[in-house]
Amino acid sequence: MGLIARAIERVGIPTVSISLARDLTAAVGAPRAVFVKWPLGHPLGEPHAPLQQRTMIFRALHLLVNADVPGVIDEPGYRWRRDSYEEPDWSRLE
Amino acid sequence: MHETISWLQKLSNRIYAIPAVAQWWARRAAQRSAALDGEDNAMPFARLHKPLSAARGVLITTGGVHLTEQAPFDMETPQGDPAYREIPVNVAPEHITITHNYYDHRDADADLNVIFPLAHFQELVQQKIIGSLAPRHYGFMGHIDGELVTTLTQRIAPEVAAKLRADGVDFALLTPA
Repeated sequence: MGLIARAIERVGIPTVSISLARDLTAAVGAPRAVFVKWPLGHPLGEPHAPLQQRTMIFRALHLLVNADVPGVIDEPGYRWRRDSYEEPDWSRLE
Repeated sequence: MHETISWLQKLSNRIYAIPAVAQWWARRAAQRSAALDGEDNAMPFARLHKPLSAARGVLITTGGVHLTEQAPFDMETPQGDPAYREIPVNVAPEHITITHNYYDHRDADADLNVIFPLAHFQELVQQKIIGSLAPRHYGFMGHIDGELVTTLTQRIAPEVAAKLRADGVDFALLTPA
């Protein structure tokens, strides 16, 4: 997936990836990634958990807007269902 | 939906779903994957040149997402299926399905937002947090190996990148299986 991100970035379009496999993301060299140590197949979280899913989207978009070096891997450390998720403050993306 | 997955594959998928096992796999895969991108090792880095509220986004997933009327991903070839499927932005959710034997996608089947958050993105556009969405989004299979990695990096990924340019896309969110 990082390889696809790099091809897109190469034509001048910024990308942000969600990673469930930290070392692989680092080795391939995704331009920006948010890593969570969650079960494979669940990059945005659990089914029917919109606040968790929107929190991940927010985190990714926040990195998209704010990253200033290539290859940064953001690690928010969310603990799957042991964290409580709230509606993000989207105004912070402006 | 009508996949034939052996009990062994199902067991394997359950084991790899354990985050610690997945990270062990990632470490091993990382050792094989260094410099997969060929001769050009400099990391490309583009910036968003407009506010997010004016930007056009695209979703790309390697979770095996495709339309029910499209050919499923080929799970028989050991090196994977490097082709992609285009998902129109206004597709009804019931026309989207997942073909992928190498992860447990029952949760993503139950709620596509787990892996392909098109519904959330449509809501973010309505809320004027994101400017607009691309007319087409992309499903890949991931798990590409061997010579097909070159096919992906040299031909297929640049082809998709060109389509994003043609569609006026300003940023991409990529989600894995």
